Amino acid sequence: MFDINFVERSIIAAVLIGLTAPLIGSFLVVRRSSLIADSLAHVTLTGVTAGVLAGNLQAFWDINPLYTGFLFAFAGSLIIERVRHTYGGFQELAAPILMAAAVGLSAVFMSISADGVTEWYGYLFGSVVSVQMEDLWFIGLMTIAALGLLAAFGRELMFLSFDEEMAAAAGIPVKVFNVLLAVLLAIVISASMQVVGVLLAGALITLPAAAAMQWASGFKRMLLIAVIIGEASVAAGVTGSILFGIASGGGTVVTAAFILFATLLLRTWINWKRNRRLKYERHQGA
Amino acid sequence: MIFLEFDFLRYALIIGLMIGVVAPVAGVFVVVRKTPMIADAMSHTALTGIAFHLWLASYLVWLSEWNPLYTGILFTFIVSFLIEYLRRRFQAFQELSIPVVMASAIGLGVVFISLADGFNNDLFNYLFGSILTVNAADAVVIGIISAVSLLLFLLFYKELLFLAFDEEQAAVNGIPVQRVNLLFAGITAVIVASSISILGVLLVSALITLPAAAALRVASTFKSMFLYAVVFGETAVLAGFFASYYYDLSSGGTIAVVSFLIWTIIVLAEKVAGQRRQRPWKEAKWTDKANQ
Repeated sequence: MFDINFVERSIIAAVLIGLTAPLIGSFLVVRRSSLIADSLAHVTLTGVTAGVLAGNLQAFWDINPLYTGFLFAFAGSLIIERVRHTYGGFQELAAPILMAAAVGLSAVFMSISADGVTEWYGYLFGSVVSVQMEDLWFIGLMTIAALGLLAAFGRELMFLSFDEEMAAAAGIPVKVFNVLLAVLLAIVISASMQVVGVLLAGALITLPAAAAMQWASGFKRMLLIAVIIGEASVAAGVTGSILFGIASGGGTVVTAAFILFATLLLRTWINWKRNRRLKYERHQGA
Repeated sequence: MIFLEFDFLRYALIIGLMIGVVAPVAGVFVVVRKTPMIADAMSHTALTGIAFHLWLASYLVWLSEWNPLYTGILFTFIVSFLIEYLRRRFQAFQELSIPVVMASAIGLGVVFISLADGFNNDLFNYLFGSILTVNAADAVVIGIISAVSLLLFLLFYKELLFLAFDEEQAAVNGIPVQRVNLLFAGITAVIVASSISILGVLLVSALITLPAAAALRVASTFKSMFLYAVVFGETAVLAGFFASYYYDLSSGGTIAVVSFLIWTIIVLAEKVAGQRRQRPWKEAKWTDKANQ
């Protein structure tokens, strides 16, 4: 029943990630904390390198490094949430500080580990064609968890993302849901690592949502458009990876970026046309 | 000091020490301007430039004689303008401009690397830095870049300072905000790109942001912030250099980790001491925010 080949595995993994990443991204973008995605992705890298290193040093350690990656991302998300509240004035420093520490530690772990560079490239830039059955289980599990949490608490999270103070006033336990959002982010990032890679997970989370924001008139529609853009991007990424051997993260993110920039240009043009028409009508009226 | 007999180690040390000055100095401005992620965006763009160079060099043989870092510098320079444009374009969601640029830059970089078939050890050195890859020419170029950047920082110190604290007030006082912004972005871009050989694309921002963030917590005046930042930066660079030479650890990684440790120690010490000195600029910024 589970005898599926690498093409099918990569397509399934990509479709799942193309769904969850833009969803969580939309919340982050309207909450104005899109930078967190990148820093958490880098923390995940630290977890993965720590996992691989542990596997090198201890013979009995046989755990998929994706799980240590998730654990680190989870811890990192809690730390970021804490720092966001304690720092006040300079809270935007929290993300780059965590990011720098995470990448630094990863680099040190990598240089200690005996593994060659090619293994790391898969984690850094994504290599969807090397998704194994157990990885697919991990991704599936994480997707179900993320979708379940979103379905259950989507309304509260949306409220919170748009206006934290209003949400608090309306009696939503802000702290709990902030942590929940951070946990969701950790889930999505650790799941998307193999499809787009650590360095590009933030991109697949942010770019479709940023593009969708330009078109959508409501949050639900924004979610829908973001998912469509996300799926289109991963489709391009997987195709490029299987047919041309381009790292899947690269193809995916370039497509998403292209859609975003095309959106921006188109919007600028539409606005310009409308302004000209308005001006013309005003002129006719006068 | 037996290791200094090797030429490349001497150059690496010289470059490291120069970067240990300019990167934290730029970092102080970056941190006070509250745009710390800009260094990340720029360094990731440098990766795109490097990758583009590698790809082009697989067709144009003469290009392979040049150091890809120069293409990286060119790319960061161009993108510093793009970031300023996007900041205005996104208006309500200004902070999006940096993740967007960063994401597009790495995505494009990865595609170029794939096309150039460049997933090898060289790329790894660009990503995480290496003290083994520098030569005399790099040392000279980075020396010139450092000197010019420091000179520009000195010449435009007042303008940059003013702009960092309060852009609107600076504009009212007749400072050409946009031109100074562009100048600053340009200097930062060049500093970022020249730090890549030692620190690596992914770790440049560590030496820019972390020492400045630590200095922000201990310094009592703005000028002393520069001094602290440079001291922290140089400490980290030296630690990274020796760790890389004696224990074969990643130089960029060690520099980042040591910078982070310095910052952590300072934060903890502050907590233990339980007293926070007055930091006039920080207070000013907060009251500004409260007034809005």
